[in-house]
Amino acid sequence: MEGMARAIKKVVVLGANGAMGSGSGAVFASAGIPTVFLARTRDKADAGRQRAEKMVKSTAISAFITVGSYDDLEREVAGADLVFEAVAEELGVKQEVFARVDAARKPGSVVATVSSGLSIAAMCAGRSDDFQKHFCGMHFFNPPTVIVGCELIGHAGTSPAVLADVRELMAGPLGREVIETSDTPAFCGNRVGFKVLNEVAQLAQEHGPAFMDALIGPHTGRAMTPLATVDFVGWDVHKAIVDNLYANTKDEAHAAFALPAYMQALIDKGHLGNKTRDKGGFFLTTGKGKEAQRFVLDPKSGTYRPAAEVKVELPAFVGAMNAAIRSGRYRQGMDAMAEATGTAADLMRKVVLGYVSYGLARVGEVVERARDVDRIMGFGFNWAPPSVLVDALGARRTVALLERAGLPVPRVVVEAAERNLMLFDEPEVDRGRFFFASAA
Amino acid sequence: MSRTVYILGGHQTDFARNWTKEGKHISAMIREAVEGTLAATGVAAKDIQVGHVGNFAAELYSMQGHLGAFLVDVDPAFHGLPTGRHEAACASGSIALLAASAELEAGRYDVALVVGVEQMKTVSPAIGGDYLGTAAWYESEAKGVEFPFPKLFGKLGDEYDRRYGLKDEHLAHISAVNYANAKRNPKAQTRTWYMTEAHACGGGEYNATIGGRIKISDCSQVTDGAVGVILATEAYAAGWARQRGMSLDQLPRIQGWGHRTAPLRFVDKVEAAKDSPYVLPHTRQAVTDAYRRAGIADCWALDGIETHDCFTTSEYMAIDHFGLTAPGESWKAIEAGVIDFGGKLPINPSGGLIGAGHPVGATGVRQLLDCARQVTGTAGGYQVDGARRFAMLNIGGSGTTSVVFVVGRDA
Repeated sequence: MEGMARAIKKVVVLGANGAMGSGSGAVFASAGIPTVFLARTRDKADAGRQRAEKMVKSTAISAFITVGSYDDLEREVAGADLVFEAVAEELGVKQEVFARVDAARKPGSVVATVSSGLSIAAMCAGRSDDFQKHFCGMHFFNPPTVIVGCELIGHAGTSPAVLADVRELMAGPLGREVIETSDTPAFCGNRVGFKVLNEVAQLAQEHGPAFMDALIGPHTGRAMTPLATVDFVGWDVHKAIVDNLYANTKDEAHAAFALPAYMQALIDKGHLGNKTRDKGGFFLTTGKGKEAQRFVLDPKSGTYRPAAEVKVELPAFVGAMNAAIRSGRYRQGMDAMAEATGTAADLMRKVVLGYVSYGLARVGEVVERARDVDRIMGFGFNWAPPSVLVDALGARRTVALLERAGLPVPRVVVEAAERNLMLFDEPEVDRGRFFFASAA
Repeated sequence: MSRTVYILGGHQTDFARNWTKEGKHISAMIREAVEGTLAATGVAAKDIQVGHVGNFAAELYSMQGHLGAFLVDVDPAFHGLPTGRHEAACASGSIALLAASAELEAGRYDVALVVGVEQMKTVSPAIGGDYLGTAAWYESEAKGVEFPFPKLFGKLGDEYDRRYGLKDEHLAHISAVNYANAKRNPKAQTRTWYMTEAHACGGGEYNATIGGRIKISDCSQVTDGAVGVILATEAYAAGWARQRGMSLDQLPRIQGWGHRTAPLRFVDKVEAAKDSPYVLPHTRQAVTDAYRRAGIADCWALDGIETHDCFTTSEYMAIDHFGLTAPGESWKAIEAGVIDFGGKLPINPSGGLIGAGHPVGATGVRQLLDCARQVTGTAGGYQVDGARRFAMLNIGGSGTTSVVFVVGRDA
């Protein structure tokens, strides 16, 4: 059977002015696929095209891009092999767009959504049979030109052959590290990732954002600290994701998806993180350059205190972790976490082992293999994949640590412990790239 | 008669990594390269008898010298291991390989560990460019010059232009081939970057001129990377092969080598070369020395080449110096598609320094490892079909130190 990658001769991107639309459009055009950028106006679509040039640092990419407005939707969609939707993340808005696409598209063309968490089945409900058969989620992470991890999501009615073809396109010409997930809330990456982020936000109420962000810092296997990440993605986006998960999942981590009340109160006052620079989120920076002053939120009062006045005292084992990681002794770094005693050590293990437990327990529910969770956390979130942490700790010790912390022990970890196997299954990938030391 | 040197394998770190952003010290890079090399080869740490490290300028980039000693830090079994560090600018890795192989040939040791390493992202591009200037005659060629090396290799292009004519579109093709090849290499720095021949031909904001005729697309990368390989004599390699169900002649070996040094300053090289049809006659000499020692007549006995494309002009130079064309006619091989992946004699299937990256002191070791992978059919996505013999050229400075290895297997 001829691979579909070759049959995609034209892509239409809807919502090509936004970050995800223009970034995803850049990925298609980078592969040399003629790509039509559509937005509310032609000027907006052209701004998206310019953003795409900037993202790949080349004007040559525009040889593969044409632009237009939604007035051109029917005509462009009729000739498209793949329609890629990146309009606002609202079910109603998307459904309206898909109705227009359904009426105009040629049978057999693929329709994909970049949605990061809406139900794939709900988005295509009421559409024609052929539309439903060819509909799937292609969830890229921002910015798609840099972050190669992505999720491919079918609904019950998506043709397996269509999914196989789209996977081939993504893994091949588009250069993606792709995983397939089931059509469950927030799919895989955001479900596992935002569980951790929201748990840290919850713990910040008692322990303070500065302490929690330092404790669950780079040395726990992430480039960006958790609360800085929430500020970066925006509190509104964070709320949308965890609210969706709280409402629509019922698993062992259900309580971890409850948005902290202090966050809701601040969202109501317009605090959305970095996108509201004057109000801030967990952190607030006033002034620029030498004048810049950093403040930290006090969740109890909802006010900000100068960061310099907020004392963060980390126990010695965190220093030992950082020193070990800095010279490439990753197992020794994980030993320090495993063996430490005290409240801070318990908190760190609750979050980090909680991530390992929750992530790998999604195998069989959201994804098929541990490798899928590992891929999306490693290449989508730039976090140490759960299996990398298990291998560094040792599977047997991981089981013991999970039991001691009262966390569910995923089946794949039990199997690795029983058979004395390494869990991380990416021979070409440096494990070391996922261990970070905080700035010395 | 000197002993044969076999290559048992090795490990390359992912050249896309930024070890400064990871908060890592150069010792972490050495540790990952060594641990990866031991794991990839299945050689026990206690079997290693000597260690050599190739590195250009850790004193500048990381305020750290004495890198040989960091090998000992990796494993308690290395305590007491004889070690040393070698420097010849961008050819540092090859000098470490030459030192290790000379010791094996002489019979001093039977198993050597060689690591090439450079951490370059500790400083801004401008400061890094200044540090690289110490690979030239700093006071007369680099001091106070912004990005001296692109300018020096621009002059290499100018010298070709003066003698034989040179078209920039041929340089653009070299760039595009290296980037395209890098997309097949899971350890290549630029594997997710966008590059086409059209982009490389163009200029503007996203492909600015860095110096002379050199644009961004003509340049290799600023790269953090470490690579390890294990070299061994028959005394060790035979048993190692047997344990893996192989015969000794299935192992890759260093079949030939060449090593020549030209005057340091570029103007002096040009002056010294004025009566030669080759722009860099010492580099040509290193190539022919290696061919002679390998017992091969010319480049057509090779299945591929890993060359030192620090800039497109240096690969352009390598094409005629390896003898793919007559001097000054490199463009003919480019136009005929000879150097393309799948061409008659592919150059840089790994992506080379432009595509895979150029962690200066690690490059020579990376090239040797890639040659060994190619001739053993273990190069994965960038495997050249049926390769049995590869050559590599590693250059330090503006064509100053040239090292060539021919790597092949007999069965």
